[in-house]
Amino acid sequence: MIKPKIAYFNKFIHWKMVMVYLIAILCATIVLTTAIGPVYVPPPEIVALLGNKLHLCEAASIPHKYDVIILQIRLPRIVLGLLVGLSLATAGTTLQGLFKNPMADPYIIGIASGAAVGAVFSMLILPGFLFIYTKPFMAFLGAMFTTFLVYNIAKVGRRIPVDTLLLTGIAVSLFLGAVLSFMMFVAEDLHSIFFWLMGGFWLANWAQVKITILPVFVCFFLIYIFAKDLNAMLLGEECAQTLGINVEWVKKILLVFAAFITATAVSFVGTIGFVGLIIPHITRILVGPDHRILFPASALVGGIFLVWTDALARLLGEMPVGIITAFFGAPFFIYLLRKRKGGHYFT
Amino acid sequence: MPLEIKDVDAYYGSVKILDGIDFSASHGELLGVIGPNGSGKTTLLRTISRILKPKVGTILLEGRDVQGMKDKEFSRNFAAVPQDTTINFDFSALDIVLMGRNPHLGRLELEGEKDIEIARRCMELTNCWHLAERPITELSGGERQLVIIARALTQEPKVLLLDEPTSHLDINYQIEIMELLKRLTSEEKLIVVAVIHDLNLAAQYCDRLALLHEGKIVSLGTQAQVLTAENIKNTFGADVIIKKHALTDHCFVSPVPSLLKRQNKNEAELTIHLICGGGEGASLMHELCERGYRVTAGVVNMLDTDQEVAKLLNIPVVTEAPFSPITEEAFQAHLALIDKANVVVLCNTPFGYGNLKNLEVAERALERNKPLLVFDATRIEKRDFTNGEATKRFITLKDKGAIMVKSQEEVLKLLNISTPFDA
Repeated sequence: MIKPKIAYFNKFIHWKMVMVYLIAILCATIVLTTAIGPVYVPPPEIVALLGNKLHLCEAASIPHKYDVIILQIRLPRIVLGLLVGLSLATAGTTLQGLFKNPMADPYIIGIASGAAVGAVFSMLILPGFLFIYTKPFMAFLGAMFTTFLVYNIAKVGRRIPVDTLLLTGIAVSLFLGAVLSFMMFVAEDLHSIFFWLMGGFWLANWAQVKITILPVFVCFFLIYIFAKDLNAMLLGEECAQTLGINVEWVKKILLVFAAFITATAVSFVGTIGFVGLIIPHITRILVGPDHRILFPASALVGGIFLVWTDALARLLGEMPVGIITAFFGAPFFIYLLRKRKGGHYFT
Repeated sequence: MPLEIKDVDAYYGSVKILDGIDFSASHGELLGVIGPNGSGKTTLLRTISRILKPKVGTILLEGRDVQGMKDKEFSRNFAAVPQDTTINFDFSALDIVLMGRNPHLGRLELEGEKDIEIARRCMELTNCWHLAERPITELSGGERQLVIIARALTQEPKVLLLDEPTSHLDINYQIEIMELLKRLTSEEKLIVVAVIHDLNLAAQYCDRLALLHEGKIVSLGTQAQVLTAENIKNTFGADVIIKKHALTDHCFVSPVPSLLKRQNKNEAELTIHLICGGGEGASLMHELCERGYRVTAGVVNMLDTDQEVAKLLNIPVVTEAPFSPITEEAFQAHLALIDKANVVVLCNTPFGYGNLKNLEVAERALERNKPLLVFDATRIEKRDFTNGEATKRFITLKDKGAIMVKSQEEVLKLLNISTPFDA
């Protein structure tokens, strides 16, 4: 009866393989999507240029006509897409694990709406008060404030029951939706707000990547530290408590991190819905429920997914990417709702 | 004492749930917590497992206050098996069990050979190693319970707390789990505190019982001390019979059907006298009482099942001291009862020299023109332990016009009542 033991270590090997595959797909994605756009860039050129830039190889002659397109337009956009996809998927995975509910995502519990209100507010009232940081900062404030609000409304005694939290999130989201509508009603520059709300990467640049990259990775790592705690919490909160986990503390910390990573993602590119909902779910089907693999895998899948949808958006004449994700996401959400009737995922 | 619960009060909000709980348990002890719903059993476990903080009082493990322990340290000492063990995520059983290693591992540390070895040992101990690779969502309730207990054991705790580990399980798993707990205490020297709903299981397996009522321990001690009809009546409000289990000498609780408390109201108001003994009259007594007849019985020895049942049913009965022959005095009393009866039934009782007088009394009944129904289910020769004396008398009864019957249904039919089968 030694078999399960070996199988268990095979699991770790399997995890590594999953990551290797995903990273390979990611690299392919970066190259291929760089090629796509109004101007087609041949992939070999891209590989050569990237190799050169990263000092991996010394390619002799690269036509300079693609430099600007690749380096200044497409690449920052793709990297930002990866970061945003990673953030939203991570936030979604965190919240779904936290609430033991695959319907949770940063939008449904109101975090993203809060960030949107903060960002739009900064666009209306405080343009440029913290330079390029204004919008992310206000988005973060909005997200944190909303999280705090939802958390405290949903709190019963010293605990936060999941059902009240979800319902509170929906109610607060609706309210924030009204606030947004009001701000749009009084706004002069409706166009930029409107486009921001639909979400898109057309304004992406390296400066935004520079601001985003560090907080996102730090936050991802901090969340990842709690992977085992989230596993245990899937068994029930009291169960997790008896396994030596300070459940209420972990919940608070993870809510803050999820809000933070969402706000960071949302601040530059606007509200892109459903990534945080679909990606963790699909990844869970692929790699199982263990958060130790689910976090990195869904982060990569999220990034890859968003980069491809953005490429599609680019091909469809710069359509806001939020429209495309919603196009996939809403039917998927309905599918989950239908599945819920079986009661499989819900406690 | 290794585990000491000292004067603990616990509240939900402002409602006091536990009131001055004070007990201790030692290594290798299986302590059963029993009590009616809402008496605070689960709250007690939640308090010991630190989910609920006691407002007053302390909990000590080997002299150390558990409130002072770090979370992980605490869960290396205490493990809990919750009431609801449903898991909706596709972890394998081994994954679940390995989560028990959480308190022993660092945050980013993967489980190693040693952890899997411990998990395997625990799963073998709980007899679920063969399930290791199966998804937890596909296991039956009993199998899942074994896996969850294995997970608690991989924590390598000193104290194991279980909240109704056997509820919703079939009797096979109930026994398996209780025997497992017994083994864990006697072999692994664990302190096991288990809330158990089934009083008989609790009596059979626990070393000591604590009976909770309205947040207080009303009785604490051996099963014989705790499980008294009076205690059960005072806490559960239920009428029960406590008997000793024939095999194990453990207390055995069974409920008294509430029908028995009903007043007799058969319109015929027939009085039926049973001549019984050896437990042969008990079920007929019950049957007749339920149908509203007035029933009397005699002569039975004390401690005979028939005597105990008659006492429970509140039936007038003539008794004799245990293992003693029927005295003249009892015989006369018996006759007096028979005089009052409308019908006399002689049950399928075996006869020895001690109760020969019961055959004599049957003869007297016939002489007094009482209708006499005689059970002939087992041939009299087979239950005659008097070298033919009883058989002789039995045949006399037959000759004198006793009505022979083979079954209870026949008796009831003759008494002009529809049997359950006709209804």
